[in-house]
Amino acid sequence: MTLIAFINWHFFFFCFFAIIACGFAAGVLFSQNIVRMAFYLVLSLGATAGLFFLAGHEFVGSMQLMIYVGGTLVLLIFGVMLTAQKSFVSMKTGGGDWIIAMILGSTLLFALLVAAFGVKSWRTNVADREIQRKDVEDTARIGGKLMGLSIDKLDKQESGDESEIGGMVGYLLPFEIASVHLLVVLIGAGYMARTKRRAKEAGNSA
Amino acid sequence: MENVELLLKWLLFVAVLLPLVSFFLILCAYPKLGTSLGSGAVISVGAIGGACILSFICLGIWLNHHPLHPHEADPKGDAAAIRIDRDDPSAGPDIRLVSLLQDDHGHEHKQETKHEHEGEGHAEGSAAEHHEAVKPYTGEYYVLGQFGRLRLSISYYIDALTICMFCMVTLIATCIHVYAVGYMHEELHDMTDHEVTMADGSHLKRPGRFFRFFQYLSLFSFSMLGLVLAGNIAMVFVFWELVGICSYFLIGFYVERKTASTAANKAFIVNRVGDFGMIIGLMAIWSGMGTFAFGDIDYNSDGHIRDTAAAVEVGMFSQVRPAGLHHSLEVPDGMLIAGVSEDFRDEVGMVYADHAGLDENAPREAIEPSRLNAESEIASRLRDNDKNNWGRFLLIIAGIGIFCGCVGKSAQFPLHVWLPDAMEGPTPVSALVHSATMVAAGVYLVGRFYPVFTPEVLLVIAVVGMITLFMAATIAITATDIKRVLAYSTISQLGYMMMALGVGGWLAGMTHLITHAFFKSLLFLCSGSVIHAVHTNEMPQMGGLLKKMPVTAITMLIGCLAIAGVSIPFVVGLSGYYSKDAILEQAWSFAGAHNPAWAWMFFFAGAGGAAITAFYMFRMWFMTFMGTPRDEHRYDHAHESPPVMYVPLIILATFAVGVAWNPGEHWFEGIVGGILVTVIFVLIGLRYRASAEGSSERGAATRQLINVAIGIGVVMTLLSVIWMAEPASNVVLTNLLKSARPAGTGHGFHEAFGGVMTWPSEHDIHTEAAFWPIKVPVTLLAFGTGIAGILLAGAIYWKGILSPRDISNQFKAAHRFLLNKWWIDELYDFCFVQPVHIVSRVISEIDKRVIDRLIDGLAAVVRRISSVWEYVADQTIVDGAVNLFASWMYSLGVALRGVQRGRLREYVMFIVMGTIAIFALFLLFSRSLI
Amino acid sequence: MNLLDQPITVSHYLAVGAVLFVTGAICMATKRNALGVLMGIELVLNGANINFIAFSSKYLREETLGLDGPLIALFVIVLAAAEAAVALAIALNFYNNHATIDVDRADDLKG
Repeated sequence: MTLIAFINWHFFFFCFFAIIACGFAAGVLFSQNIVRMAFYLVLSLGATAGLFFLAGHEFVGSMQLMIYVGGTLVLLIFGVMLTAQKSFVSMKTGGGDWIIAMILGSTLLFALLVAAFGVKSWRTNVADREIQRKDVEDTARIGGKLMGLSIDKLDKQESGDESEIGGMVGYLLPFEIASVHLLVVLIGAGYMARTKRRAKEAGNSA
Repeated sequence: MENVELLLKWLLFVAVLLPLVSFFLILCAYPKLGTSLGSGAVISVGAIGGACILSFICLGIWLNHHPLHPHEADPKGDAAAIRIDRDDPSAGPDIRLVSLLQDDHGHEHKQETKHEHEGEGHAEGSAAEHHEAVKPYTGEYYVLGQFGRLRLSISYYIDALTICMFCMVTLIATCIHVYAVGYMHEELHDMTDHEVTMADGSHLKRPGRFFRFFQYLSLFSFSMLGLVLAGNIAMVFVFWELVGICSYFLIGFYVERKTASTAANKAFIVNRVGDFGMIIGLMAIWSGMGTFAFGDIDYNSDGHIRDTAAAVEVGMFSQVRPAGLHHSLEVPDGMLIAGVSEDFRDEVGMVYADHAGLDENAPREAIEPSRLNAESEIASRLRDNDKNNWGRFLLIIAGIGIFCGCVGKSAQFPLHVWLPDAMEGPTPVSALVHSATMVAAGVYLVGRFYPVFTPEVLLVIAVVGMITLFMAATIAITATDIKRVLAYSTISQLGYMMMALGVGGWLAGMTHLITHAFFKSLLFLCSGSVIHAVHTNEMPQMGGLLKKMPVTAITMLIGCLAIAGVSIPFVVGLSGYYSKDAILEQAWSFAGAHNPAWAWMFFFAGAGGAAITAFYMFRMWFMTFMGTPRDEHRYDHAHESPPVMYVPLIILATFAVGVAWNPGEHWFEGIVGGILVTVIFVLIGLRYRASAEGSSERGAATRQLINVAIGIGVVMTLLSVIWMAEPASNVVLTNLLKSARPAGTGHGFHEAFGGVMTWPSEHDIHTEAAFWPIKVPVTLLAFGTGIAGILLAGAIYWKGILSPRDISNQFKAAHRFLLNKWWIDELYDFCFVQPVHIVSRVISEIDKRVIDRLIDGLAAVVRRISSVWEYVADQTIVDGAVNLFASWMYSLGVALRGVQRGRLREYVMFIVMGTIAIFALFLLFSRSLI
Repeated sequence: MNLLDQPITVSHYLAVGAVLFVTGAICMATKRNALGVLMGIELVLNGANINFIAFSSKYLREETLGLDGPLIALFVIVLAAAEAAVALAIALNFYNNHATIDVDRADDLKG
C-alpha cells in the first residue's frame, strides 16, 4: 500500500496515457498497413481521451471517445474497407520524402517543445488541492455556455472591467453555425459519396 | 434742339438702319427661310420700302417746316441781314462764331446784284443774302473718340439735298428690290450657269443664291443711305468704302464666272486708286482745318451755345466760307498757318507766345478761345504776306484729293474702266448701283463738298467731266452689248454732271443727278427685262421685240426720250430736258462770261455729247425693238416680263417723265405732260392690239394694257392738276434743291486766277435778261441736236436707209478705235497690270524656290530626325523596357508555375514548413514570454 | 528520481500535444494513401485539443481558460468529424473515378 502512496499517481497516469498516445501515434506514422494504422490511431485517440480525463474535463473526454473514436475513426475504417485494393502494397513513399519530413518534423517538434517548456508561467504548477463542488465542471455549465450564458465568468460581471466583460458571451453563434455546418456536410458528403457508375479502367472523371 | 431736328434726325437714322437690320435678319434666318418667292426677299423689300416711306415722311416734315418759295420770290430786303439765330450773349468780335446760313435767292435781286458782282473782288459790302435762309441740321449721334483736337463721331447733316437724295435713293431702291424679286427667281433653286464651263465640258450646276443677293442689296442700301446722311467727311469715307465693297460683292455675284470675278476685282481696285487721292485730301483737310465735320456742331446738342465758342466745333464749310465775309471762299486760318513758310515761323511763334497760357493738356473749352485768337491774328498777318500761297495750295490739294475719290467712284476719266466691266453683275445691280446710287455718290460728294472747292479745282473738275462725257459717248456708238451701251451712257452722263458742277452750275448738276437716276435705272431695268426674255445681252441678236414686250418697249422709249432731252421746246419736256438744258445753259453762260475763248469747249463738248447721246440711245432702242428679228429662235421665246418686273418699270417711267416738272411756273406742264403720256400709251397699245396675232388671251392682255395706260395717264393728269394748286405748286425738284445750295456758292467766282477767269453765278441764267442770249440758243441747239441724233439713228437702224456696215467700213480706223474703247484698258494693262504681274511672278518664284525649299528641307530634316529618334527612343528604349519587363514577368510566372506540381504531399510539406516558420518567428520576437 | 517527482504541469501536456501534432503533420506529409493523410489530420487536431484542455485544466494552473477550453475542444471535435466525413467522401469519389487511392496520382492540377 505504500507503493500506492509513493507513486505520484498523477504523474503515473499521465505518463501512461502520454506514452500510449505518442507511441501509437508514431505507430500510425511508421506503419505501412492502412488497417494497422487505423487501429493504432484508435488507441492513440483513446489515450488522448484519457489525458482529457486526467486534466479534469470528463465531458470532453467522453465526447472524444464517443464522437472521435466511436464515430470518426469508424468512418475512417469504413473508408479503408471500401478502398482496400491490392495496390496498397506498392504505395511507399520514397526515402527523400522521408528525410525532408523528418527534418521538418523534428524542427517543428523542437520549436514546439522549446515553446512549451520555455514559458515560465506554464512550468509552474498548482499545488494539489481540493476541488470544490462549485468548481466542478458539469454539463449544465457547458450547456449553458453553449447557449450563451457564461456561468463560469458570472463573478466577474460586477468588476466592470472592459476586457473581462467581452468574454461574457457564450458560444451560441458557433453552436448554430456548427449545426448548419454539420447539416451541410451531411448532405454534401452524402451526395459526393453516392454510388456511381464504375469508372473505366483508363480513369476518366465522371 | 428743335423738335423738327430731333424728328428728322432719328427718322433718317432709322431709315438708314432698316436695311442693315434686314441684312442681319437674312443672315441669321437664312436656313429657315423657305424657297417660296416671298420669304427671303420680303424682309429686304420691306426694309427698303420702310426706308422709302420714312424718307417721304421726312420730306413732308421738311416741307412743312421750310416751305419752298417759288422761283420769282418777293425780295425781302436788300441789305445783307445775316441772322444769327442762336442766343449768343458772349459772342465777341474776335471770336468767329458762325452760323451757317444758306442762300435762297430771288429773281429781282439778281438783277440788282449782278452788276455789283461782276468785276469786283470779294463781295464785300454788297447785298448778298436775304431771306431767312434754311439752315441745315447738323449734330452728332455718337462720339467714337476724341484724340486731342481730332474728334471722330457719327454725325448727320440734314438739308434739303439730303432729304432729296434719301427719297430718290430709297424710291429707286424699292422699285429695284421688287424688280429683283422677279428677275432673280431662278436663283431660288439649283441652277445651271451656262457661262461657266467645267473641266469636263459641262456647265456648272450650283445651288441658288437668292438670299445672298438680297443680303448684299440690303447692305448696299444701308451703306448708301449712311453716306448720304453723313455729317463729316471721315464718316463719308467709311461709307464710301462700304459702298465699294458692296459693289464688289454684287458685281461678283456670279462668282464662278471668271469675267465676273475679274470685273469685281477691277471695280474695287480702281476705286481704291481713287480713294488714295481721297485720303490725301482727308489728310490735307485734317492738318489744315482740324476738323472733319461739314457744319458747325454744337457739342451740347441742345441748340444753345452756352458761353464760349469752344463748345462748338467749327465745321469745314464755315472755315472756308466764313459768314463774316458773306460766305465767299477764303483760305482758312489753319491752312494758312500749316502752309506758312520758313520766314514767318518766328513770327508765328511770337504770336503764340503772346497769347500765353496755351496749355496743350487743358480742356478744349479753356484753350479754344486763345487758340482761335492766336490763329486769327497769325492769319491776318499772313494773309497780306502770303507770297507763296502755300495755304491756298493746301486747300487746292484738299479739293483735288476729294475729287480723286469721286473720279474713282463716279467712273470719270481716267478711272472709268471699271464701269463697263461691272455689267457682269445681274441687271438689278447695274440699275441700282451703277446707274443711280453708287456712281452718283461721287457727284453727290462733289455737290456736298462744293463750298470747299477753289476755282482751280473747279476747272479741273470741269475738264475731267468734259473729257469723260465725250469719250464715253463716242465709245457707246459702237457697243453691241445692250448693257455696255447703258454703262457708257452712264459714264457720259456722270461726265455731264461733273462738267456742270465744274462750270458753276450746282443746281443744274444736282438736278441732273436726280433725273438721271430715274431714267437710267429705268433703262437698266428695261434692258434687264429684255435680257430676261431673250437670254442674251447682244443687240445684234435682238430685234422686233416691240410686239412681244410692249410694256418694256414703251418704258424704255420713255427712258431714251428722257436721256436725249426730248421736249416740245419752251413748253414741256421729259425730265432729262430740264436738267440737260440747265447744264448746257450754264456752260454757255460760263463761256460767255469774261472767259477766254477755250471756255467754249465745254459747251460744244456738251452739245456734241447730247447729239451723240441721242444717237446711240436710239440706236439701241431701234436695234432692240424695231425691225425684223435677227434671231428667230430667241424671238420666239421672248415674252413680256411678269408684273413684278414691269410694275417698277412703270413707276420709274412716271418719275422719269415728270420728276422735273414745275407746274407752279408753267401751269401746263403737269396737264400736258399727263395727257401726252396717256395718249402715247394708248396709241402704242392700240397699235399693238392691231398687230397682235389672234388669240383671245392676247386681246385680253392688250385691253388690260390699255386700261393700265389710261389709268396711269388719268392719274397723272389729276395729280398734276392738284400739283398746280398753290401750296403744292412749289414742291418742285428745282426749288427743293435750290434751298439746299451751299452758302456763298451761288455767287460763282469773280476775278479768279488773277482776273483771268470768271465763274458766273447760276442765277444769271434764270434772269429775264438771260432769256434771249442764253436760253433760246441753248434750247434750240439742244433740241436740234437731239432730234438730229434720233433721226440719224432711225435712218440707220430702223429704216435701214444707211447701212451701218458701210459707215464702219468707211471710218474703219475710227470705228476700230471706238470699238476698242480707245485702247485705254490695253494701256492700263501695259502700264500697270503687266508690271505688277511681273513683280508678283518674281516674288512668287522666290517664294517657291527659296523659301519653300528652305522650309520643306527643314521639314524633311525634322522628319528624318524624328524617325531615327522614334526608332531609338520609342522602339528600343521604351518598348524594349516594357517588353523586357513583361518577359521577366512571364518567366517568373512560368517559374512559379513549377511550384504547383499537383502533389498533395508536397503541399502538406509546405504547410508544415509555413507553420514552422511562423512559429519560429513568433518565438524569436516574443522574448518576453520566455 | 527528480524527473519522476516533477509535478505535471501544463508544459507536459503541451509536449504531448506537440508530439501528436508533429506526428500528425509528418503523417500528412508522407503517407501516400489518402486515408493515411486523413489519419494525420486527426492526429493534428487531437494535438491541438490537448493544448486547449491543458490550458483550461484546474489541476494544472491557477488561472485557467475556464469553460472556453473544453468548449473549443468540443467544437474542434465536431468539426473534425464533419471534415473527416467530407474528406472521406472526396477520397471515395477519387477512388471511384481513378481506381486508386494514391494521392500521388492526383496531380492533374499542376501548372
